[in-house]
Amino acid sequence: MPTTTTTTVAGRTKHAKAILGDELHKKLGETKVLVVGAGGIGCELIKTLVLSGFIDITLLDLDTIDLSNLNRQFLFRTTHIKKPKSLIAASVASTFNPLVDITPIQDNIMDSEKYHVDWFRGFDIVLNALDNLEARKYVGRMCVAGGVKMVESGTAGYLGQVQPIVGGVTECFECMEKPKGGKTYPVCTIRSTPSLPIHCVVWSKSYLMGQLFGVDEDAGAELDEAEKQGENAEEIANLRKEAESFAQVRAAIRSGGPAARMIFDKIFNTDIKRLLSMSDMWNHRASPVPLDFDRIMQGENENGNGSKQKQTVALKDQKKLTTKENLELFVSSVSALSARLSSTETVIEFDKDDDDTLNFVTAASNLRSLAYGIPQKTKWEVKEMAGNIIPAIATTNAIIAGLIVLQGVNLIASSFSPPTSTPTSPSPSPLSSLRNIHIQLKPSVPLSAITTSRPNPACGICRDIYTVVRCDPLRATLRDVVQGVLGLSPPPISEFTIFASSPSAPSATRILADPDWEDNLDRTLGSVNVRCGMFVNVVHEEGVWETISVGIGGLPPDAGCYGGNANRNRNAEGEGEGEGIPWLMLPDPLPRLVVRKEEKEKSGGTNTPLPPPPVERASLKRGLGEDDDIVVLDSNDNHSADAHPPAAKRRKTSSNPPPSTPPERQHPARAGFSSPSKKRKLEEDGLVLMESAEELLDDISEDINGGEGDVIVID
Amino acid sequence: MASGEFTEEEQGRYDRQIRLWGIEAQQRMRNATILVVRLRGTATETIKNIVLAGIGKLILVDADDVKEEDLGAGFFFRDDDVGKKRVDAAKARIENLNPLVTVETVPNFNVLNNQNFESTVNGVDLVCITEWDRDDLVRLNIICRRSRKPFYSGGTYGLLGYIFCDLLDHNYISPDRSSPKDVPKSIQMKVSYPSLQDALRHRWSLLSKRQTKELNPASVFAILALWRFQSIQKRLPIGAQDVGELQQIADALVSEADVNKQVITTVPHSLIESVTMTAVHEFSPVCAIVGGLLAQDILKTLAAREPPIANFLTFDGNTGGASVCKLSMS
Repeated sequence: MPTTTTTTVAGRTKHAKAILGDELHKKLGETKVLVVGAGGIGCELIKTLVLSGFIDITLLDLDTIDLSNLNRQFLFRTTHIKKPKSLIAASVASTFNPLVDITPIQDNIMDSEKYHVDWFRGFDIVLNALDNLEARKYVGRMCVAGGVKMVESGTAGYLGQVQPIVGGVTECFECMEKPKGGKTYPVCTIRSTPSLPIHCVVWSKSYLMGQLFGVDEDAGAELDEAEKQGENAEEIANLRKEAESFAQVRAAIRSGGPAARMIFDKIFNTDIKRLLSMSDMWNHRASPVPLDFDRIMQGENENGNGSKQKQTVALKDQKKLTTKENLELFVSSVSALSARLSSTETVIEFDKDDDDTLNFVTAASNLRSLAYGIPQKTKWEVKEMAGNIIPAIATTNAIIAGLIVLQGVNLIASSFSPPTSTPTSPSPSPLSSLRNIHIQLKPSVPLSAITTSRPNPACGICRDIYTVVRCDPLRATLRDVVQGVLGLSPPPISEFTIFASSPSAPSATRILADPDWEDNLDRTLGSVNVRCGMFVNVVHEEGVWETISVGIGGLPPDAGCYGGNANRNRNAEGEGEGEGIPWLMLPDPLPRLVVRKEEKEKSGGTNTPLPPPPVERASLKRGLGEDDDIVVLDSNDNHSADAHPPAAKRRKTSSNPPPSTPPERQHPARAGFSSPSKKRKLEEDGLVLMESAEELLDDISEDINGGEGDVIVID
Repeated sequence: MASGEFTEEEQGRYDRQIRLWGIEAQQRMRNATILVVRLRGTATETIKNIVLAGIGKLILVDADDVKEEDLGAGFFFRDDDVGKKRVDAAKARIENLNPLVTVETVPNFNVLNNQNFESTVNGVDLVCITEWDRDDLVRLNIICRRSRKPFYSGGTYGLLGYIFCDLLDHNYISPDRSSPKDVPKSIQMKVSYPSLQDALRHRWSLLSKRQTKELNPASVFAILALWRFQSIQKRLPIGAQDVGELQQIADALVSEADVNKQVITTVPHSLIESVTMTAVHEFSPVCAIVGGLLAQDILKTLAAREPPIANFLTFDGNTGGASVCKLSMS
């Protein structure tokens, strides 16, 4: 709540009022803003918001402050390291303007039980300053579902973008499919036939670290799957032997004795010799050379690279290690990690900021590179490759934050027409139109501003009809909710397939009921595992109606939910449900059923919808298997899952090819469509969608795997 | 801090940017002294960015006191700074952004007198003058050219903003982004800049309709018109009574510059009107964008990496777009 007692000098707002006009400026002060993220973009954004006239700001971030943030997150100081970003950013930015009221929250926005549709509806505008694809999709979906305007943003190095989103009016965040993040490699490339430095880094980080210091898990499943995918059977059998022999070294590491030599001999000598015995593998590629511990220690294997080389300006971690130095680093890091395992820790995972693990991955991948004749990498480079580090600078974030605020002001102005200007003050320049803005490398147009596009008619997110039902999931049945939302007029509930989905894990869509399977309809939501914060998707079996997505919200505290008598069930027409169930609050008015666009076009404007092509049921119920035969670089991300739309959404488009839609809007299958308009426009502007942000930008490291595949990643 | 190895703290603090521009660029920034004149919104943002990036030394010149309205875009100032010298109020807060940077302040504009400016300029590596009038920018630019020092100017007028630079003969390395990713290649480039005086004589005759349109001539000529208005009236436009004159100046400039008539013969009246009413005002988001672009370009020039602005950038906050015209340069 803004404190009414706070005062500041009167002239503070003079400039902003002159530019925006008094009415719009006043409106900014009354707008409830949610800022998601207090990192690179977030710090700049909070500063610009509080100076522009915004007062009521909620700032959410999960993270704590790190030394490497200080080159751009200018609200933070060395003394703030390890403290929560949201709290520090709120308190420092508040000093810029005593009028503001910033509510900091240190939390994960993807906690759908707390941050559900209704919570988002408490804001007038949401500004994203996020650094990962999942959270952006989550916020994007919540804003579309709640009908809350938002501005999406991202930066990577010199590049950045800003996108205002109004559900149903502009493209939503997912109208254009995001390129799949995180590069993946075939198991055999990583495990037996690496040819690039990144292959060796991935092997050390994702495989070897786990085998030696991670949970003792059965590596067989991965190999079973690789075999099914048709990878070389002999090679797989060989890898199985290799996996079995890890048991011994794991034991040695945990016994506290010196294990480095034993590990070295196994992975750089025995395992490589075993691979060499499969002579077929090496017919068309250079064969690896087994390494000899003693010879390396005696200084053999040095071939001119390393510290003898002339060094220009370099950081300590940018110096090339000699082979002997690499081996010494391997030995010292193994003993450091072993010591940790035999004292306090049971499992050690790779963390780019954990120096022991970074040293180990650097040394192990370089030794493997040596065996395979692959160029070595410095610790500095390995950190970037293994840690998915995205370069980030203050200037890009400042520019993007400024653009977010301008677009945010546009969104607020567009829902508010100021009284016609008085004769004494002609209407100042209105920030009138919404634009998607990109920072680009084209010299003549460093900031391109493109008019926002219409929603993609085949979008699986923003074309749904969204509504919210508040209820006690332990008492409301699935039928109460679905029938309640559909109302009493046809079509009957039996024409719908009903799914449950969680906005934070959309690939985990479950079927709750369909026309041939109604067993769950009279069960409570709780008994079919539908909790507050989840969605119930009501999909018309014949595809005549747009899908209705029902957000499940809890009863408000004043509803007297457990058998209370307040807030009786109502619906728009008051058709006899007025004295209904006290643990269920239907939306008022009920959502309107909307005929799908394709259906309208097919029927040529008449009211006789044609039956859609039969739906392939089998494909619907198949699990959303991820590609198990690949190694996902960043073990923390689920990006591969994001490539698959929820089953309900997939079905919606795949079962209904829209032959009558205009060519530029034709999206035969969601899985394959690329941007209707954005990509084309980007290309016209000389910007090509990149697979990863670094592709064009970075000549230091050739093969980083940016966390996000989008042009724009974030900070 | 002038030379030598980077410390652990520098490595940690600058990690994410060294990964972008490399250690040699960082070294050049660390060795640089930058002169910034006048501390309003654009300079506040610019200074924040170059100090965070780790330049060696900032010399900040401003003679004025903090006014109430300076709090609107000036996050180095607090309520109780009103009435103090701007540079005195801001100094500690700038130093606080990055303890590795030296900050020196000059609380008067005497250094801008011809004699003084030449010796001041000789002691710095780059000059950046913000929110200044055209005629004096021309004069200061000439002195910088004599001393062979790169010159930047920038500022905002309400929702509009600009950056002009004269980098003399500038050599830089441009990463060749057309080369395959695993064989990074760089090209050594050289470009010659004209003085501001020469740039202002630019004719648009050679540009096609499409090229002209892309450069958003309406905002370019709105800014050039403000400059000429200020030169004639010794002040910026401040109210409705100035609209007519500004419109006249803008249209005359469009005609003098021989701009493609199919694109523009007159600067839209609505733009002239809004510029007239807002020219003396500043808005934090616009300052952040122009100050961000300005700082980024200063850093590119210091690093001698990536092509800098050539040579006149205009930002239009009505759309969020920015374009760069080559004024009197090939």
